[in-house]
Amino acid sequence: MRQWLGLVARLVTGGVWIYAGAVKLPDPYASVQAVRAYELLPASAAEAVGYLLPPLEIVVGLALVLGLLTRGAAAVSAVLFVVFIIGIASVWARGMEIDCGCFGGGGYDPDAQSSYPWEIARDAALLLASLYLVWLRRSRLALDDLLFRRTTSPTHEG
Amino acid sequence: MPNPPKPTKSQKAQARAERAAELIRQQQAAERRRNLLVVAGVVVAMVLIVGVLFFVNASRDSADDIDAAPAGQSDFGLTIGDSGAPHDVVIYEDFLCPFCGQLERESSDQLDKLAKEGKVQVEYRPFNLLQTDYSVAAANAFAVLLDKEGPEVAKKFHDLIYADQPSESGEQPGADWLLEKAVDAGADEAAVKPGIEGLTEKDWVEDATKAAADAGVSSTPTILLDGKAYQDGRTIEEIADNLVAELE
Repeated sequence: MRQWLGLVARLVTGGVWIYAGAVKLPDPYASVQAVRAYELLPASAAEAVGYLLPPLEIVVGLALVLGLLTRGAAAVSAVLFVVFIIGIASVWARGMEIDCGCFGGGGYDPDAQSSYPWEIARDAALLLASLYLVWLRRSRLALDDLLFRRTTSPTHEG
Repeated sequence: MPNPPKPTKSQKAQARAERAAELIRQQQAAERRRNLLVVAGVVVAMVLIVGVLFFVNASRDSADDIDAAPAGQSDFGLTIGDSGAPHDVVIYEDFLCPFCGQLERESSDQLDKLAKEGKVQVEYRPFNLLQTDYSVAAANAFAVLLDKEGPEVAKKFHDLIYADQPSESGEQPGADWLLEKAVDAGADEAAVKPGIEGLTEKDWVEDATKAAADAGVSSTPTILLDGKAYQDGRTIEEIADNLVAELE
């Protein structure tokens, strides 16, 4: 049962990552602008993060959906969600009004203040799903099961 | 068949068990090695994919590759300062863009001063990035003043409408307001009224917008320092401060 729940967590979290990355991938410039809008990173670092995030999101998403190195992918996913939550909380605390740029877009958004709580709630839920996968280790229908099939009797080690 | 003594039997069994245990240990070690290799392989593949896409992204982003005429040499700008100045700054802007307004409020006075001291030549190139009526009307009024009243009045007008910039989200003022600002800037009302109200420089605005797009400008404000995109800072305020410090 838990392993099936793990599969659901993988598909939902991975699906969100793939979507978020794929939407941003075609427009690196907009992605960099979205990072800049947070006013947290110096120009060159914002540029690097803007280029890096979309492909990283897609790869983490694919790994989760396929169940490939699930624990590692879930750990990276959790770290990213923590970073995003900090980022959104920080613009919220500074009274800035920007689109989180989570799924493309970014920059000024007059309705931003009302969307921050919901964005944080969404990222927190996905963070929990990621942590659940780290804790669970194994879930159903994962490529990991094929790659790491046991040839000898199991030991305590995972 | 020989008669093996009891101790030998147990010794044999022990040896067998040891051999079996050794075999399992070896198999387990082999499996660990294999798993480690698989993990390393998959991780390398993932890093490669991310890395390749990163570089593809970096090379596709053309925001830094701006090929624009240096300050004082475009048909759609207002230039202050001497052409012999050691630095050359070009600012592409839209009259409605909030960050342009912020940049102007942060930097305009200092750039004026630096230009007077001969340290920089600055060209302001307004165009219609945001595709709004106000962007067009304001740039049109700017062009009318540049044509009828000369660069000094046009610069004053430019500073005035940035100082009092309307909000991007609210309702924007029309020709009456722009005319009022033009008169405040020192323009002769009768001379500029037809141009401001009739949008007579609309083509100028369109051409300026096209020239900006051709130069590779896709956002505002775009600041060029000696021909290179300048965005050194986390906020517009920091960028303005760093730019001024760079020129001093």
